[in-house]
Amino acid sequence: GTTELTGSTNLITHYNLEHAYNKFCGKKVKEKLSNFLPDLPGMIDLPGSHDSSSLRSLIEKPPICGSSFTPLTGAMLTGFRLHAGPLPEQCRLMHIQPPKKKNKHKHKQSRTQDPVPPGKGCRSHHPPPLQHRQSIGSSGTSASPETPSDSDHKKKKKKKEEDPERKRKKKEKKKKKNRHSPEHPGVGSSQASSSLR
Amino acid sequence: MAEKFDSLEEHLEKFVENIRQLGIIVSDFQPSSQTGLNQKLNFMVTGLQDIDKCRQQLHDISVPLEVFEYIDQGRNPQLYTKECLERALAKNEQVKGKIDTMK
Repeated sequence: GTTELTGSTNLITHYNLEHAYNKFCGKKVKEKLSNFLPDLPGMIDLPGSHDSSSLRSLIEKPPICGSSFTPLTGAMLTGFRLHAGPLPEQCRLMHIQPPKKKNKHKHKQSRTQDPVPPGKGCRSHHPPPLQHRQSIGSSGTSASPETPSDSDHKKKKKKKEEDPERKRKKKEKKKKKNRHSPEHPGVGSSQASSSLR
Repeated sequence: MAEKFDSLEEHLEKFVENIRQLGIIVSDFQPSSQTGLNQKLNFMVTGLQDIDKCRQQLHDISVPLEVFEYIDQGRNPQLYTKECLERALAKNEQVKGKIDTMK
């Protein structure tokens, strides 16, 4: 007769989901969205309702737009001529990368730039108005924008300067490591402490 | 099957990178950056065209709405998969127990 599929069968095995089960349930899955998408810029671990960027709102109220994507013509691009100078601080969030955690130490997690209080200024759904057209014609040469390496270098420098606590802990760890190394005489014995004198 | 996801993923990554560079240009704009800005804006449009083309290959793919809840909360969507598997296994064991009892 035909074998009936019931709850007495291991359904994970039946549907060849052992690999998936081991992958997702065999080890710890990290909590944050930035762990799943480490290369995505911006503060993606914040709730979508925070800055009206939720997927739910996109499904419930899809934007009304045309059916095709047409490149911007020269006339249209004149609307994107901007004034020179930096944006206000609260609008400069887009290119901030979430911290790429290479180390597992918890105290190293606060690596990003100072978070700007959300929900104000340019983070609202109204984008900042473009400035008026400038009379200066484009010279045809383009200035090199800030490269990711420049901003990373500045961030690293700032982090090192602001973290003497981290340096102290690192030194202590190094001492402990040297104490327990196999080259060091008297490992685990009372002689270990005498070598540090 | 995996190829169509790879293609979409590649287009999305390029699109996001383009937007990120656009943000850098705009964050401290210089007049000489105008040409680069215009180029990035048009890359944005072509990027959207490429992503739109991927849509046809993926029309049969369904995504559970509950996954979007996780993403909107800033949580890893793999946690949804994990919890589904755990719930399925727990229910499987519960039903197996009932069947064994009745036998």
